[in-house]
Amino acid sequence: MKKIMVGNHAVSWGVMLARAEVIPAYPITPQTTIVEELSVLCADGRLKAKFIPVESEHSAMACCIGAAAAGVRTFTATSGQGLALMHEMLHWASGARLPIVMATVNRALGSPWNIWGEQTDSLAQRDTGWLQLYCENNQEVLDTTIQAFKIAEEILLPVMLNLDAYFLSHTAEPVEIPEQSQVDNFLPRFQPPFRLDPQDPHSFGCLTPPEYFMEFRYKIQQAMLKGKEVGKRVDEEFGQVFGRKYGLIDAYRCEGADLILVASGAIASTARVVVDALREKGRKVGMVKVRLFRPFPKEELAEVLQGAEKVAVVDRNVSFGVGGIFAHELRAAFCNEKVRPPIFSFIAGLGGRDVTPQVLNDVVYQTYKRSEPDEQSVWVGMRS
Amino acid sequence: MSEQILFKREEDMPYHAISMASMTWNKTGSWRYLRPRFDNKIPPCNAGCPAGQDIEGAMVLIGKGKVLEAWELFKEENPFPGVCGRVCFHPCESSCNRKDFDEAISINALERFMADTASRQGRKPSSAKRDKRKEKVAIIGSGPAGLTCAYHLARMGYGVTVFEALPVLGGMLRVGIPEYRLPKKVLEEEIDQILEVGVKTEINTRLGEDFLRNDLKEYQAVFLALGNHRSKSLGIPGEDFAGAMSGVEFLRNVSLGKEVTLEKRVAVIGGGNTAFDAARSALRLGAKPFILYRRTRDEMPAFPGEVLEAEEEGIEISCLVSPVRVTAENGKVSRLECVKNRLGPSDADGRRRPVEIKGSNFFLEVDQVISAIGEGADLSALPKNIGLKENIILTDERGATKQKGVFAGGDIIQQPRTVVHAIGSGKRAAIFIDCFLKRNKWQGLFDLIRIGERGSLSMKRYQQEEKERVPLSSKTVALKDLNLDYFDYKKRKKMPQAQISKRVGSFEEVNLGFSEETAREEANRCFNCGVCNLCDNCYIFCPDVAVLKQGEDEPNVIDYDHCKGCGICVEECPRDALVMEEEGK
Repeated sequence: MKKIMVGNHAVSWGVMLARAEVIPAYPITPQTTIVEELSVLCADGRLKAKFIPVESEHSAMACCIGAAAAGVRTFTATSGQGLALMHEMLHWASGARLPIVMATVNRALGSPWNIWGEQTDSLAQRDTGWLQLYCENNQEVLDTTIQAFKIAEEILLPVMLNLDAYFLSHTAEPVEIPEQSQVDNFLPRFQPPFRLDPQDPHSFGCLTPPEYFMEFRYKIQQAMLKGKEVGKRVDEEFGQVFGRKYGLIDAYRCEGADLILVASGAIASTARVVVDALREKGRKVGMVKVRLFRPFPKEELAEVLQGAEKVAVVDRNVSFGVGGIFAHELRAAFCNEKVRPPIFSFIAGLGGRDVTPQVLNDVVYQTYKRSEPDEQSVWVGMRS
Repeated sequence: MSEQILFKREEDMPYHAISMASMTWNKTGSWRYLRPRFDNKIPPCNAGCPAGQDIEGAMVLIGKGKVLEAWELFKEENPFPGVCGRVCFHPCESSCNRKDFDEAISINALERFMADTASRQGRKPSSAKRDKRKEKVAIIGSGPAGLTCAYHLARMGYGVTVFEALPVLGGMLRVGIPEYRLPKKVLEEEIDQILEVGVKTEINTRLGEDFLRNDLKEYQAVFLALGNHRSKSLGIPGEDFAGAMSGVEFLRNVSLGKEVTLEKRVAVIGGGNTAFDAARSALRLGAKPFILYRRTRDEMPAFPGEVLEAEEEGIEISCLVSPVRVTAENGKVSRLECVKNRLGPSDADGRRRPVEIKGSNFFLEVDQVISAIGEGADLSALPKNIGLKENIILTDERGATKQKGVFAGGDIIQQPRTVVHAIGSGKRAAIFIDCFLKRNKWQGLFDLIRIGERGSLSMKRYQQEEKERVPLSSKTVALKDLNLDYFDYKKRKKMPQAQISKRVGSFEEVNLGFSEETAREEANRCFNCGVCNLCDNCYIFCPDVAVLKQGEDEPNVIDYDHCKGCGICVEECPRDALVMEEEGK
């Protein structure tokens, strides 16, 4: 069945199909319609879950932690400032090895106030022990929501799926809705290897001395690395059942490319158009979409990017003092590689500014023009 | 430390730091140094009711639609809810915490609603009669004080006889308050219910000189409730002409159905309830009355509602005017000479005193003068050694006089002259006459049965066995003690009133009572100050799930094994029904 739906509702429907059992949530623009739709689905019985309206995002995540510790499938969603407020609890969720799934509608952080798209909110949480996936369109949003639970429950780490504010969250697209029975087969009921049982209470997250703490951290790191294999396998399985798969990264027309654009989220779909047009003109340009950001898919990227002469990364985010975060991660990942194409870093589209084909053409033009990357990220699409 | 290490390698370790042993032994309540406790306190309405009624409890019951149960609750303390629901000046409402939030609860109208509902359904109060007792008690006067005392003593099993000088029972309720405020039918029904408990009456019986010694020898205790049936005189020339009479006499004659001839222009002197009752009665009898009062409206002792209703009915009120002489033509009142006043310094009671303006005399053409400037008691039949001060009988905190076994109450003792104070004094006398006759100690009793600090006593608590008597907090809840975040502003419901055109010229009742729906809505406005009404806020808010539910209509309990003493339940209780105490105290 196909439905026309906005990205936020694609999340809600994904959660319904995944049969989440507890949904604590606090509304925030532009995430609100995710939980609004979920509350409707819960109220009318289409989703048999406990919907808990909480008083803040911090509480939402604390509540998710409680529910997930009790061994039930748990979901929440947030955005921008709300995600920032959750920060402390994000660490706890991964540390407690709880497979919570959260949708983050990427939004710029104030001040000044801004409710539009930017990835700085989720990227600021990259060290919290959550897997991060970035979606390109509404179909991918729905499918990734379902995949996220399967990945999370296998490796026992929380998963964050990200979608661009408005470009996806509030834009309607046709979305194929998977059959419930197929989803049930793909994603059976969660069987937690440990859980909090009120009838037999145990102390959770006890004070752990230096003698043991590192080992617990090491386990998380191992689980995170395993997340890449599991993510890849789950996506393959999903493809077999539903006929759609996305990969950890997606290389588009990269064969023989001398310049490869690197993008994520909704910008990737614009990049596809730009690549097509440039290829028409005979330019050997390709594009790589980074879908999985944590754990960082270094090997997959290296395999594609090492064939290019230049790599141009477009970041809708900024780490002040460094520049674009994807570019920064990529440079770090490649620094010990023998073959390392120069990485050009561009910052575009902050606070919801549109990243048009013209902006991406400018990125390509500037990358061709330079023999070496600038010391700092180049800001494109600025007022002039 | 090293020998405690259980895991040799990272692979041996679990996913998460979870205790190996079950933690059921860990009663985390031991961490607590403060403990919450459910602790009901005194609602200000209950403390403010001189008749000691459980108003808050009745509000809960009415709010749940249990109107008759609410009425029973009132009847345990006061045999006159139908009367009080009409004529009480409702100090409960002026004590209501809601009045400083939006508007006080319409308690008075709800009291009437309960009584009217019980009456419509033909309900009788359930008998609380204990074993018959051999002692007999004489009650002098059948007003609210006397009949209340009789009711309670009869319910305790005593043989009670009420002596009444007039041919009717009820005292001032019967002969002082006009029909349009208190229909006879309502009064009679409640009196009948008192008599049904087993009260004997002797009407038309004015006791003679020194009756205590002569007539009441067979009684082991006496309650004096003679009432104030004697008008104070104006003390001006011409007071004795035909056409001049007292308000008390006028109202009594109207009530008793005696022929009352009224001329057109009737001057009523005074600013109290008697003056307004007289003026409004005269209006209904076809006269054109007006009121002369020597001070201003601010000093008027009449209930504000009465003043307002009189004005609505077209009765003119002239303030700062004193009569100085009544003149007559052919032996009949024809003119009233008056003088204008200004306000001088305050009296002992705090009201500003009127000071005559010299030479401001003027004349009013009048046919009749009714004086209602205050009433006093006729205590001429009492022995001097009973203890008198300015025509008031002196009593101790029990209502006992200097004579052993003789108690007094109502308007003849030192207390505000209201129906509800009379009822309160009657109940108090019943309690202490019971103590007296049983030779029980009474000194410690007040602490057990007192409701708040304003003299209200609880008959229910008095009747309870020692062990069923829950300790009662002495704290009366104030607005600042409530968590007002939980209450919405909501307008007070008012009783509909008869149209003014129908009121003038008719003794039909002015106030028309609540519908059941209105009553329920109004009762649910109640904050339930200091009393748990099972709202479950504590249960909802407890972060440790340490407030436990026991079942429908059962109070919640605190699981002290796991309560950490955070105090959130106390903070979030909307009505101050929990307290925080130091652990181990």
